[in-house]
Amino acid sequence: MTDLLGNDLNLQYELLGPEIALVITAALVLFADAFRRELKIGQSAIPAISILGLVVALLLSLLWIDENKDFARLVTIDNFTTFFRVLFIAVTVVVIIGSHEYIERRVSHLGEFYSLLLLSTVGAMLMAGARDLLTAYLAIEVMSFSLYILVSLAKSDTRSGEASLKYVLLGGVASAMLLYGLSFLYGVGGSTQYTEIAAALSDGTSTLELPLLLGLALIIAGLGFKASAVPFHMWTPDAYEGAPIPITAYLSATSKAATFALLLRWFAGPLLPAIDSWQWMISVLAVLTMVIGNLVALQQSNIKRLLAYSSIGQVGFMLMAIVTISDQTGSALLLHLSGYIITNLAVFMGVIAFYNRTGREEIVAFRGLAQTNPYLALVITAGLFSLAGMPLLAGFLTKFILFQSVVSGGYTWLVVTALLASTVSLYYYLQVIRQMYMYQPEGDASRWRLSPTGYLATGAMLVGVVWVGVYAAPFYTAADRAIAPLFT
Amino acid sequence: MIPIENFLILSSLLFAMGLYGVLARRSAILILMSIELMLAAVSINFIAFATYLDGEAFSGLVFALFVITVAAAEVGLALGIVLRLFRERRTAYVDAADSLKW
Repeated sequence: MTDLLGNDLNLQYELLGPEIALVITAALVLFADAFRRELKIGQSAIPAISILGLVVALLLSLLWIDENKDFARLVTIDNFTTFFRVLFIAVTVVVIIGSHEYIERRVSHLGEFYSLLLLSTVGAMLMAGARDLLTAYLAIEVMSFSLYILVSLAKSDTRSGEASLKYVLLGGVASAMLLYGLSFLYGVGGSTQYTEIAAALSDGTSTLELPLLLGLALIIAGLGFKASAVPFHMWTPDAYEGAPIPITAYLSATSKAATFALLLRWFAGPLLPAIDSWQWMISVLAVLTMVIGNLVALQQSNIKRLLAYSSIGQVGFMLMAIVTISDQTGSALLLHLSGYIITNLAVFMGVIAFYNRTGREEIVAFRGLAQTNPYLALVITAGLFSLAGMPLLAGFLTKFILFQSVVSGGYTWLVVTALLASTVSLYYYLQVIRQMYMYQPEGDASRWRLSPTGYLATGAMLVGVVWVGVYAAPFYTAADRAIAPLFT
Repeated sequence: MIPIENFLILSSLLFAMGLYGVLARRSAILILMSIELMLAAVSINFIAFATYLDGEAFSGLVFALFVITVAAAEVGLALGIVLRLFRERRTAYVDAADSLKW
């Protein structure tokens, strides 16, 4: 088949197998939940169906390793897409396993919850694969719209609706800015295809300097919002605090990684010829984000809010890799992103298990956890130390490789700032660890155990944190092979 | 033919009005309407560029079509969330949404 301009279109639907599988699963989940009584299935069947669909999607996405094809000039299926597909599916699986008890008790509309979770995974996967501005925009909105609703689904918690309102209003403004920027990019580049924009921009754009600059600034503002970079971060702590904790974990992992996948695709692809116009914008954003994120985190008293600011700080580190974009920093960014996601999920799975037991989320509530549940205290401590960048844990190695690649990209001053910010972050992570180990438990001091799935999720993430920290070679190779298609 | 600058000036005025509305209005409904203005500016831009560019002219028009559709979906979704806030607080003013700070 060809399109109106005579380009051949490759309509091989198998290429979109994982996405199709997940959409079908999402519909099935809705159906199964609506007819639960007629079908005589229990509540736990719904997460089971979701996991099954995710596993099928995972296998389908592994079919396309080392391929480089595109679907109808809209979606690229290469190692980069496959890397992110696997990553996003894995995140969703972990979130579902680790928090289905939490979801059953504290989330309204179970079926909608799971099906929206699956749909937002689809959006994130398409964000990584898009090769046309229109596909990218629709993918962003599929992911964001699902998340707007997911944030508002916490049962009997008035903060949830408020968080969702702030998220949807600011998200709408950010989308509008992004789109306005894209319209200028379309005007300058003459096409919505990444490859053709890149070709048009590298032809020389001196006469169109102003619209391009305006477009870039708007695009960076819009994406900065999605990635929660300072000064576009205001929604982040509120949405993180108001959302159900599994969604907070999901926001900090998938929504962030998907935005970075998109940033990599755009700034290493269509926007690379204009690097002189955007490099300084992103470096300002990176410095502001890591400094302010880490400083404001110091005075937080709620664990979800603390982790929100800590994730803002981490975004600052990751933006450095976009400033000095190359295959080396790109692969370091992918490695850091996966290490960060594993670490963050370890902490969040621990916090969810803790919340299931106590129903509290203030940092002081963690007092004496080392006595009442030493295993959980160990998991959270390992996660927090890894976020701070302690050796032998994922955070140290991935951060080291990231910083090293940025230095060899010629931005030593950025790395110095990052190191200082990183030192500050150690202080507030230690505050939480201090509560767990240095204080006596308040009230009930009896020992308690996690549920089997709680052990599974936290255990897997703990192993992941140590594994990446000690033996990262497989992850490193995967990141290298994933970034290669972007720089050929 | 009308020069493209006229369209761009119109769209930037609309966009600026929308952005002002978002920053100045306190009612969630009016903020949503201001976002709609910003998205209308986007559509005008896309259609103007599509008309003035040769070649892949259609992609801009299709983009505008999708922007309109997605904007409608977004308003539906956001109104649902505003309704939830209204049920809890008896107001649609964003100032009432103040339990989450710093």
